[in-house]
Amino acid sequence: MTRIHKQESLLVESRFLWASLGVFLVLSGLLFRLWYVQIYKGDFYRGQSERNRVRKIEIPAPRGIIYDRNGEVILGNSPYFDLVFIPQYVKDRDTTFKILSRLLHVPVSKFEARLEMVQGQPKFLPIAIKRNLSQHEVSIIEANKLFLPGIEVRVAPRRDYGPDVPPHLIGYLREIDPKALDVTNKATSQNPYMMGDLVGKQGLEARWESYLRGKRGYRLIQVDAFGRQTEGFEENGWQFPSVSSVPGSDLELTIDKELQKVTQEAFNGKNGAVVVLNPRNGEILASISEPGFDPKAMQNGISAEDWRRLNENTFNPLLDKTTGGEFPPGSVYKAVVALAALEEHVIDPNKTYFCPGHYTLGNRLFACHEKHGHGTVNLMRALMKSCDVYFYQVGVELGVDRIAKYAKALGLGSLLNIGLNRESKGLVPTSSWKAMVYGFPWAAGDTPSLSIGQSYNLMTPMQMANLYATIANGGKVWRPYVVNRVTNHVGETVFEHRPELIREVTEIKAENFALVRNALMAVVMDPQGTGKNAQVPGVTVAGKTGSVQVVNLKKNSNKSSDVSMNWKEHAMFAAFSPAENAEIAIAVVSQNDLVGGGGRSAAPVAGKIIAAYWRLKEERALALKQAPPSASNQQQAEAHSHEKSEKTN
Amino acid sequence: MRSRKKQTEGVFLMPEGDLKRPSSPQITLLCLLFCGLLSIGLINLYSAGVGASYFWTQLRNLIGTLSAFFVFGWIIPIKRVNTYAYWFVALVCTLLLIVLFTGRVAGGAQRWISLGPVSFQPSEFAKLAIAVAVARFFSSNRQDSPYRIRDLIPLIGIVGSVFVLIFAQPDFGTAGICFLIAACQLMFIRIDIRSLAFVFLSAPIMAAFGWKVLLLDYQKLRILNLLNPNLDPQNSGYHAMQSLIAVGSGGVFGKGFMQGTQAHLRFLPERHTDFIFSVFAEEHGFWGSVVVFLGFGLLTYIALDIAKHAKDTFAGLLAVGLGTLLFLEFAINIAMVMGMFPVVGIPLPFFSYGSSAMLTVCVSLGLLISINRTNSGASKR
Repeated sequence: MTRIHKQESLLVESRFLWASLGVFLVLSGLLFRLWYVQIYKGDFYRGQSERNRVRKIEIPAPRGIIYDRNGEVILGNSPYFDLVFIPQYVKDRDTTFKILSRLLHVPVSKFEARLEMVQGQPKFLPIAIKRNLSQHEVSIIEANKLFLPGIEVRVAPRRDYGPDVPPHLIGYLREIDPKALDVTNKATSQNPYMMGDLVGKQGLEARWESYLRGKRGYRLIQVDAFGRQTEGFEENGWQFPSVSSVPGSDLELTIDKELQKVTQEAFNGKNGAVVVLNPRNGEILASISEPGFDPKAMQNGISAEDWRRLNENTFNPLLDKTTGGEFPPGSVYKAVVALAALEEHVIDPNKTYFCPGHYTLGNRLFACHEKHGHGTVNLMRALMKSCDVYFYQVGVELGVDRIAKYAKALGLGSLLNIGLNRESKGLVPTSSWKAMVYGFPWAAGDTPSLSIGQSYNLMTPMQMANLYATIANGGKVWRPYVVNRVTNHVGETVFEHRPELIREVTEIKAENFALVRNALMAVVMDPQGTGKNAQVPGVTVAGKTGSVQVVNLKKNSNKSSDVSMNWKEHAMFAAFSPAENAEIAIAVVSQNDLVGGGGRSAAPVAGKIIAAYWRLKEERALALKQAPPSASNQQQAEAHSHEKSEKTN
Repeated sequence: MRSRKKQTEGVFLMPEGDLKRPSSPQITLLCLLFCGLLSIGLINLYSAGVGASYFWTQLRNLIGTLSAFFVFGWIIPIKRVNTYAYWFVALVCTLLLIVLFTGRVAGGAQRWISLGPVSFQPSEFAKLAIAVAVARFFSSNRQDSPYRIRDLIPLIGIVGSVFVLIFAQPDFGTAGICFLIAACQLMFIRIDIRSLAFVFLSAPIMAAFGWKVLLLDYQKLRILNLLNPNLDPQNSGYHAMQSLIAVGSGGVFGKGFMQGTQAHLRFLPERHTDFIFSVFAEEHGFWGSVVVFLGFGLLTYIALDIAKHAKDTFAGLLAVGLGTLLFLEFAINIAMVMGMFPVVGIPLPFFSYGSSAMLTVCVSLGLLISINRTNSGASKR
């Protein structure tokens, strides 16, 4: 028997062997597990522990700056001051909020609501509890910083919209649509978007988004289990890496900021669009579309109510009317008809027609805007006085398709492909077009109103300006462009625009262009001309007015009886200056103008812009002469605090 | 180096007679192990408790606990312990009753009693009480035939009441340890085969009953978490997950003293008590952990050896109980830390912060030494 080694003990001695064996087995099991966890899976758990403690903090990249042709900043970024709340450093939330509420005159509940919105995020991440602090508020917070642990003023680059940023041209920024995020990121997997990122939605901001947005950087921080930032454990010389953000590329536009401003002021109070082009290469010098919208509100997050209001406005503030708005060109179109008639030898400069104030074709009566008639008129007088009867007859003799041939030759009725905002093609009606769309053949009675630019004719303001630029430069249809050059953050040119000729108008002879230019000059320069309001002292201006009746004259014979603004005429004016070797071409389209027709309302606008153009040119030449060029460059560089080589005008 | 220094201190404090003439190699070995593990534990606690006063409190408590070690090791003879065994059990039961009604609540359970500045956890002493009670029962109820259930009824009553009192706190881990200590001690006693069969057959029924009625939801969740630690990573599985990450990221040689990121960045929960071994494994790696394993293995072996050579039933069973106590706490705690066992509140002897646990460990070691001294030097007395 194995029991009782010593007389007194009840313990069974053989059990000690089993117990030792048991202890040995348990110890081996634990050792095996220890080996498995620490050595076999050691790397895996090491990675886990790194992921546990290291967090990535994104650094937003400032968007590229948009400069005008002279290196003036049109749209830059500004440090926006946000009041942030960093939970890990705040000792007493309620007291902090009470102090803040008293300092900034904001109810405590607002702060609390902000905090509730971002519940559950790590404690080291700052929460913006008030955005866009004023200078005054920043200094108040800084002065009281001692009592506000965990409250900081953080700076973030955001778009700084000045008062004269053309919203349609520049575009606006909105938060990226969460639903579109995945799709968008597939295309830009190297530089993905994140929730809440601002993206360009219109104009240059949208078209050049990939250049402007830059690349976000990040830095790694160490956090503890509560998500609070802690001092790093640097082992084996390993430092927490950080990657600074790459600012977006800068755009250099063809826009002249000063001219843009003048344009804005001159067009103030009207709805429609103004386009100013350089007829020598298609540069867009200024471009506005009215009514506009506030891009700042879009960036800060527009309310649903405001968004609805924008969309329901009759004048469609979100639409860029320079390329997207189609208008009947009215009498502005007469230049095209004149060119066609000259080229087809229907008329010569001296051929006259008699204007009794009306024109009868079959049983239809077409009135001239001058009730009493212009008497006997030749081409010069007909354009100058904008005689409708003259052009009714010329048009009828030409026929719709011959007019269309030359209109198309001049680039009308097709897209300009500027690549900015949505473009409309406009419309150049032909007999086959009407047969196709309406199912009726072209009626002879359609032609007279067509030849004074009404009826089915449609043109965008950009096309109108480009048409007059073509007339001014003797038959070159340039593609209008607005981005001259794109430079990246180190100053390398990543894109440069070369002026691009859409087509050369070989169908029309140079002397006919000269004839029409002469007649158009008379429109403005002659004291009897309809465009005399666009006169600019010291320089020749050629142009053509246009007033488009929205309602048939017959229905609205006494204009005063009219009611709503929607029935007012469109006032048009297209011009270039000087009459020979023009440097500036311009189209003014005032939709449903309250003042009156093209001569009364649109021509003075063009006149102001042209005057400003010459004045600015003179001033700049003078400034350049006085100051040595190097100094002026330096001055500019300083003024914009952005290192890049400025180009001179 | 550090542990050596501690060890000489410990030896220096020993009564002179024993220092000069150690009666057996076990005592020297036990003292060495005691000092070594205590030093490693304290140093580790220093790292685990950075920013808190755990280390210094534990050091201050050492005065009391070390004196308990010496008192039970060299002053109180083991026969006196036998005499007062049931009184001690009664005292612990009373304390457990008090704690049940008036104890301080911490972590959802009432475990502490506060007496002025001192607060202690009677359930820690209950482990000792169980070991003492079982030993006392068999020394005073000897019989030559194998024990049957009916013979063991008074013992079952004592162990059962202690178990229920602890379980009601609720402290599943400590109650389980108490039960296991008693069970392990019984394994060294001859039990009637039919009684054993009855117990083993009724065990599944009891377990099912226990799962349905006795276990609280959080305890069930902890057991389920063992099966799948990813089940609920932010809550109950979080402890197990973070502990595994800490141990695993230690690798072969560890991250270095005071360099454990899991512990110092507070990803580890309970890092100064139940999960203190994660801190050690993270900072000292595989080989450091192996040293600790070997230390506990040796300690258990010595305890069994002492029990084997014990002069009487009480001393032998008590030595078995104490060895079981130390080894079970070690094994369960390590298994828990390495994700092999549900998260139960079992401290790691010598390592975990807590005066009650430390006192229990010191008294256990003291008693083991006392038993060994009786074994080898009985003729002296």
